Amino acid sequence: MILLLAPLIAIAAIGAAALLLRVQRVGQRQLVGSVVETAGGRAPLPSILYFTGEACTICHTAQKPALRTLATGIDPDIDIREIDIAVEPELARRYRVMSLPTTIVLDAAGQVTDINVGFASGDVLHRQLVDAGMPVAA
Amino acid sequence: MAIVPFDRSVLKVNQAILMGVIVAGYLVGLAYQPIAWVLPVLAVMMLAAVGSPSLNAPRLLYLRWLKPAGIVKPRVVQEDPAPHRFAQLVGGVFLVAASIFVITGVLLVAWVLAWIVAALAFLNFAFNICVGCIMYAQLVRIGLLPLAREPAG
Repeated sequence: MILLLAPLIAIAAIGAAALLLRVQRVGQRQLVGSVVETAGGRAPLPSILYFTGEACTICHTAQKPALRTLATGIDPDIDIREIDIAVEPELARRYRVMSLPTTIVLDAAGQVTDINVGFASGDVLHRQLVDAGMPVAA
Repeated sequence: MAIVPFDRSVLKVNQAILMGVIVAGYLVGLAYQPIAWVLPVLAVMMLAAVGSPSLNAPRLLYLRWLKPAGIVKPRVVQEDPAPHRFAQLVGGVFLVAASIFVITGVLLVAWVLAWIVAALAFLNFAFNICVGCIMYAQLVRIGLLPLAREPAG
């Protein structure tokens, strides 16, 4: 009858692991919700809001690498703001973000020009930024 | 990695089988302990599914019967299947560990490990919380798994 304890021990183990992860995540919060690539001190340019979350696998394995490629290689002046919806839920509500990843392209005046629900490649984002007024390198 | 059309219903069928067999096996096992040998069978099923789609029993069940009969509807999304395969591998490893404890007769530990798998399958089935996928993302982030590449285009 000791087997009756099995589900209780399993659920307790999962609960303990979740608690440990939560504690670890609180310590990481200063790393998210911040500008990951910024071009300070310049005239206003189009920008990208990148909505992500801890459990969004494609965000970490595809969308963020695509944004980094964009910021470091294609559009070095671009501002990309990474927003963890668990940390800044009010922003997710404001832009009606229902799925992750979501990337929103804003023009220099801060108006939404494009919304990508799901993965958006660097080329797609670059084209949207150009449409939003991003200067094209000569 | 590749972002491809991916039918999440295959995962749901796999999770339903895991939950059903483990819970039923556990309840029967309270009275008839040899039923614990179902855990090695599940372990083989999980690891075979990771190894090859043609050996993925839940996938074959879904494609050959559940989907044509309209019992389970397809839910195709664009995503990378690698995290889900990793999650299945983690489940398989837990079930292999449980199988070792079945062989050595330590049934309490075997069923604890099996219940962990069933509980995580339930989280994914009911709430789309894929703990194995979160582990995969963290391992990629800290560099223990190969770095992802941006798909062309």
